[in-house]
Amino acid sequence: MNRRTYLQSLAASGAVALTAGCLGDDGAEGTVLGPPDQDLNAAVHPSYGDELPDFSLPDPIAGETVSPSAFDGERSFLWTSFYTNCPDGVCPALILRLRRAQEVATEQGYGDDAAFLAQTFDPERDTADVLRAYADQQGVDLDTGNWHFLRPESYEAGKELLDETFGLVIEKVPADNYENLEYKFPHYGLILLVNDRGIVERAYPNGASVDIETVERDFETVITA
Amino acid sequence: MKRRHLLAGLASVGAIGAAGLVTTGTLSGSSETESETAEPVEPTTLETIEAPGSSDGEVTVPAENRPTFVDFFGTWCPPCVEQMPALGEAADRVGDDVLFVSVTTEDVGGSVSEDAVVEWWRENDGDWLVAADVTAELAAKLNVGAYPTAVAIDADGRVQWSASGVHTADELVDGIETALE
Repeated sequence: MNRRTYLQSLAASGAVALTAGCLGDDGAEGTVLGPPDQDLNAAVHPSYGDELPDFSLPDPIAGETVSPSAFDGERSFLWTSFYTNCPDGVCPALILRLRRAQEVATEQGYGDDAAFLAQTFDPERDTADVLRAYADQQGVDLDTGNWHFLRPESYEAGKELLDETFGLVIEKVPADNYENLEYKFPHYGLILLVNDRGIVERAYPNGASVDIETVERDFETVITA
Repeated sequence: MKRRHLLAGLASVGAIGAAGLVTTGTLSGSSETESETAEPVEPTTLETIEAPGSSDGEVTVPAENRPTFVDFFGTWCPPCVEQMPALGEAADRVGDDVLFVSVTTEDVGGSVSEDAVVEWWRENDGDWLVAADVTAELAAKLNVGAYPTAVAIDADGRVQWSASGVHTADELVDGIETALE
């Protein structure tokens, strides 16, 4: 059975009650890091020890399609979702964490073993040009070739992927406070750290406030293992 | 069946427990942390920018044997514009006993020109020290969340107050005073 189809059917079936199991002192199969302090296995998003379901999304700046499975055996990666019109500073805070990990990867010389995936959930406004300008604004280095903005074909396609693969439910809602915006999108500030076997090493659901140096360290530990 | 597959498919938001959710839509005001037993922040040296109230050179944050206040901003950030008048008032009120510096995490001199930062600074009546954290190293050490973020560090280099969002001058001065004690 196709894994992705299976996950979709599970999500559709609704209530699945599980108690998070105890992994003991040893790490989960296929991981470098030990279990996190806080067990997030019951969360809706992928978490420690989960195999991230594969997906494919366009990188409009590189003009290529990006799939995590293409990184197997090659690159560990950090993933987050954001949009450039984010009405407060949370999206830049998410991007800052990936940017810092990118800086450290470049400084430490393992940039070719790393990838940084920033998926917009506002593809209508976040075109290649807008994303390129955003990268400049936020200090993201596009020249390293390891940073990919991911832009779903449509808002609906992105929404479906976020829900099914990442457990993130987004919705357009009116934003009365921001005159120049039609919508804002409530979402969890999730960052995922996935190793080069496609296994989630860390999920940071408080991605906008999670300690930046912790993310840098976790990523380096996984990538240099 | 592999357990992780089942878990990945869990669909109930209620199951997330104490995972600490953040929503972009509702985060406003400040999230504050105070640390009485925090480790001293390792000093970082940044280049300063020639602009009103600021001259070209270097600044080390945190300052040695002197409290430090840092405002993290970006020229792309509308709330950072909104924050500027209160910063100006706070800078006047706390005086020279505190190193008072605004820091942009933009790649100044790279993807963002220094002129663009100076222009923004001038337009928003900046009149104190402004510096560039081009690799966001200081932002990482001080764990910047949403922009703007205000951080007050005591003379021993320990963070005493850190808050994101727009603050009044009174709030900024109160925060800075926690680092003076």
